[in-house]
Amino acid sequence: MLKKTEKQVDLGLRQFIKDLGYISGGAALLSTIPWLQSFTPDTLNEIKNEKARIAVIGTGSRGQYHIHALLPMQHAEIVALCDIYPPNLEEASKLCPTARKYTDYRKLLESPDIDGVVIATPLNWHALIVLDALSAGKHAFCEKSMALTMDQCKAIYDAYQKTNKVLYFCMQRMFDEKYIKGMQMIHSGLIGDVVGLRCHWFRNHDWRRPVPSANLERQINWRLYRDSSAGLMTELATHQLEVCNWATKRIPQSVVGMGDIVNWKDGREVYDSVSLTYRYSSGVKITYESLISNKFNGMEDQVLGNKGTMNLATGMYYLEGVDNTGNSGIEQLLSQIGNKVFAAIPAAGSSWRPETKKEYKPHYIIEGDYNINDGLSMIGAVKDGSDEILSAFCQACITGEKGKDIVEEAYCATLLCLLGNQAMDEQRRIDFPDEYKIPYMNF
Amino acid sequence: MRSSFDQYFDDSQVFHGSLTEIMGTRFDLVIVGKSRDISGIVWQSMTRELERLDAMLNRFVPSTEISVINKTAATSPVNVSEEIWEILCNCRTYHQKTFGLFDITLKDFSQLELHAEERTVSFQQPNLFLDFGGYAKGYAMKQLKAILEDYKVENCFVDFGNSAIFALGRHPYGDSWKVSIENPFHKGEILGEFTLNNTALSTSGNTPSYTGHIVNPLSGEKIEDRVMLCVESEDPLDAEVLTTALIAADNHQTEKIVSQFDLKQTKKFNL
Repeated sequence: MLKKTEKQVDLGLRQFIKDLGYISGGAALLSTIPWLQSFTPDTLNEIKNEKARIAVIGTGSRGQYHIHALLPMQHAEIVALCDIYPPNLEEASKLCPTARKYTDYRKLLESPDIDGVVIATPLNWHALIVLDALSAGKHAFCEKSMALTMDQCKAIYDAYQKTNKVLYFCMQRMFDEKYIKGMQMIHSGLIGDVVGLRCHWFRNHDWRRPVPSANLERQINWRLYRDSSAGLMTELATHQLEVCNWATKRIPQSVVGMGDIVNWKDGREVYDSVSLTYRYSSGVKITYESLISNKFNGMEDQVLGNKGTMNLATGMYYLEGVDNTGNSGIEQLLSQIGNKVFAAIPAAGSSWRPETKKEYKPHYIIEGDYNINDGLSMIGAVKDGSDEILSAFCQACITGEKGKDIVEEAYCATLLCLLGNQAMDEQRRIDFPDEYKIPYMNF
Repeated sequence: MRSSFDQYFDDSQVFHGSLTEIMGTRFDLVIVGKSRDISGIVWQSMTRELERLDAMLNRFVPSTEISVINKTAATSPVNVSEEIWEILCNCRTYHQKTFGLFDITLKDFSQLELHAEERTVSFQQPNLFLDFGGYAKGYAMKQLKAILEDYKVENCFVDFGNSAIFALGRHPYGDSWKVSIENPFHKGEILGEFTLNNTALSTSGNTPSYTGHIVNPLSGEKIEDRVMLCVESEDPLDAEVLTTALIAADNHQTEKIVSQFDLKQTKKFNL
């Protein structure tokens, strides 16, 4: 994974791609991650003396997280910062003192010496800034989710079809090694047919930031109010629904759900408890749950197959009944080594393995040092793919090459979040509306 | 019919060789981090050695040295090879150290006479025979270990029918090799896990389909208890011999036997 101590050009991304085995030729891997196909060693080499000139719009905690990631990147240079909240702008300015400061992003976009913008604003600003940035001829990298409303998402999608500019949304799981390898295993049939998906995100935290004066409440705690946020769905579920689409290569046809404010009755407008069921045309369902007043269950993204379970968030998988990868201990051992997994192999007695609910032995998607996101941070987890996707964007700012599928995945995931909210608000089943379907979607 | 096959994975530098119907079971070798050529040579040496030992010790094949002994030693003393002689002496030592619980005659070791001067063996009673079922795989492992050392193989996993395992060094993605023991009477119940690192693990016990194959040589009774015994040791022969002996031993005997050997661990599971 990305090693920041090495300040060489694009080493992070290069190493990341190398670790994925991409360089040693992985057609199968490429079909799982088409968005990485631009990042060949040759491409990386071609741009090694160039720098993307980046402006960061929205310099709060997430914006500063990205600044920290950008600073050591040899192929990126932060040239401008923008925020309407002075303390955050000052904080960011301390990190990159040479960058110009703006309080109006439109002024920033007029500047010709900016190649790309990194947008980490409240959700309600995404569409406006993304569209303006593209119109101004800037490449754009925007935080998830795509936008606050379905119409805004569609407007961004449509604009993206017409522009030659690069647009990324921070769907970091698409650049997270354990998700990529886990998906490759799913797509290669390791866990059989996908028969269900279970995702949840639990925290025990009020989701608030301290507010210096009451008139700043809505600005600082924008996540809690509906004119600036779609709540748990767009802040958390969006990543997980993207994972479901990625695993199934399908989009659910309909959704039902219930949302409530169960615990944090502090004037907020967004649910603090959501439970939803998304249904694919095959009948396969995603069960989604998020609650922020109990963290016992943590955060997990489980893909359930008829032959095994992939727990992408924890980086582990479990096999059902007889292991179809081999019927002897040695065959399992060979299969493990092939998958770079270190686990016990059965000896003695009848060879092989549990057909029981009690005993599932975990297998690791990747061996060695990898990070598990406990889901508790409001800013971002270490090595969760965020830095890699940002690095990839900066390279794309230099090459001008669009990122394959990234906008589409963000669009699909965000639409599902917003449809989920609609189902909960209206307390009825919502079918995927025709007017928001795009050619990328398979139902 | 015996068959042998091998494969080499360039990506991971992993060699796998497999030999079926050898010493009544299947033999597998996994070597990590050696070239295709070296691995192939090691595999050939091992295959040859295993076939040689099988041709010497298998009592179910009429042409083996042991079959000849079994057929004629009750009538007249049989002159034996140096290697068989060493093996028989070694079996006698194990017999003594295990208080008679390890016994290649399966009933009365005292009826086997070893004549050192002439290097001959004779049986004192007609119905005696020698069975190396609890010994041969351990002995073979020891021989194979020497081959691995000759070729400086540092990381490998050697598996004799899942019941005798020897592992050198480490798994390519771990710091050792791990094996788990499953309860043959309750599929899915993992009894324990062993971390092997230059150690051998032998296991014996009854399974639902194979019960009563272990005999207490002192009482002559078949052991039909639902038990499984695992012994881990740096010496594959000690491990193999002791699993058989300890399965018949009571707690007191177990303690006394174990104290005479340098074992890494022994585990007895009631199933």
